[in-house]
Amino acid sequence: MAETILKVRNLNVELEKEKVLEDLDFNLREKELLVILGPNGAGKSVLLRTLLGLHPFKGEISWTPKNIHIGYVPDDFDVPPDLPLNVKEFFYFKRINLPEILLALQWVGIENPSKFAGKRLGTLSRGQLRRTVIAWVLVDKPSVILLDEPMVGIDIRGRESIYNSLVKTWQKQNQAIILVSHEIGEVVRKADKILALNKRKLFYGKPEEVITPQNLAKIYGGAISL
Amino acid sequence: MEAQFLYSLITGIFIGGVAGYLGSLMITKRMALVGDALGHVALPGVALALIYGFNVSLGAVPALILGIILIWLFEMRTKLPMEALTGVVFTASVAIAFLFLPGEKVSTALIGDISQVGFWDTLVSAMLCIFTFLVLRKIFSKIILANLSENLAKVEHIKVERYNFIYLVCIAIVVALGIKVTGSLLMGALVITPAAAARNFSRNLFQYSFGALLIGGISCLLGILAFRFFSLPAGPLIILVATFFFLISLIFKKL
Repeated sequence: MAETILKVRNLNVELEKEKVLEDLDFNLREKELLVILGPNGAGKSVLLRTLLGLHPFKGEISWTPKNIHIGYVPDDFDVPPDLPLNVKEFFYFKRINLPEILLALQWVGIENPSKFAGKRLGTLSRGQLRRTVIAWVLVDKPSVILLDEPMVGIDIRGRESIYNSLVKTWQKQNQAIILVSHEIGEVVRKADKILALNKRKLFYGKPEEVITPQNLAKIYGGAISL
Repeated sequence: MEAQFLYSLITGIFIGGVAGYLGSLMITKRMALVGDALGHVALPGVALALIYGFNVSLGAVPALILGIILIWLFEMRTKLPMEALTGVVFTASVAIAFLFLPGEKVSTALIGDISQVGFWDTLVSAMLCIFTFLVLRKIFSKIILANLSENLAKVEHIKVERYNFIYLVCIAIVVALGIKVTGSLLMGALVITPAAAARNFSRNLFQYSFGALLIGGISCLLGILAFRFFSLPAGPLIILVATFFFLISLIFKKL
């Protein structure tokens, strides 16, 4: 049985005197892919940031081991178009050498990575920038990866290659993944667990058990099927 | 070439270089005008230094510290935007300085004068410049990353608040040093113009930051040489050389 690396109990988060998350309980095990679903404004991003220690909270969040290496793909990553920072230099911030950079870029489906490494971050398309950030987060092999809406603004082919590379690295390296999404899509089928929330937990469990028309109606307020 | 002139050159080149390097970070953080504002905040201290005949950089430091603390206190108390409060404090500083700044010292205070720096002045300035440059180089990538995504930087164990504080201290040091070279009126250009020019020339971060350092240093070198030949004030000449570099950089900027 894989070990539990994250235990969340009775989690409550209040921001600016408004309750954003109430009474959440869930676990994350090694190698598990947990997808967090919910409508816009449900508190998904806040949950991720709270898990990362960026917001104050009440309740229990315990990572095992305590100093576990976490990678985070944020939803806010804006590069001023005129900033002369190229992809290679962005990776140098982490003291990563060139062969490793090229490998990481290949992982996320970038063709011709050596040419790509010389491009300025500000000139990349949204999808390319997303993939670059994901590669940047993956490159030093975190034990758990938290991704906030990684597929937003990316076309179907891009989604597939990002998704495939995530699953590939995840299966190879014993990583656990928490992925936040406001829409149900291909990722839900591959998930080990689904946590749906709208401030409170709506449902939590294996996708084949919890993805039912009744449950989906709970999230989106209408009849939706996969 | 007499020693006095050599001291001026060395002081200018070191200060111009570190100011340019710092400027590349300030433009990225959209803080380009902060150097300008702080140059004015320092004015009462500069005025006192000129009256009592001690180093203007030394006079600038307490005025800068006081000014920054006031801006910070006002912000906590009023929640008004930082730039508005900076505006209040820097104009008040200029007003105070002009109450007691003697007429014959006005030009030195406003546009600087490094024709009189001595050996120890030069040595201390150069050491401080090297120190500030090394600190800035150490925090450079962390500040850039925090600027791209503060949350990402925090997850990567970067103490964003601490680095921002160190960065502000570096700005205060560079402003205090730069005031000697270009005076409180032109100090802002010493950090903005070389970095703005370098941004147009450069294709990556390394070229940008070190290009700014180079353009800052060379502007001071050429400006001070021109001062020697034309007997015009050095501060404005330095800034005009930097502006000339900026104009040339426009040609290189790909559309």
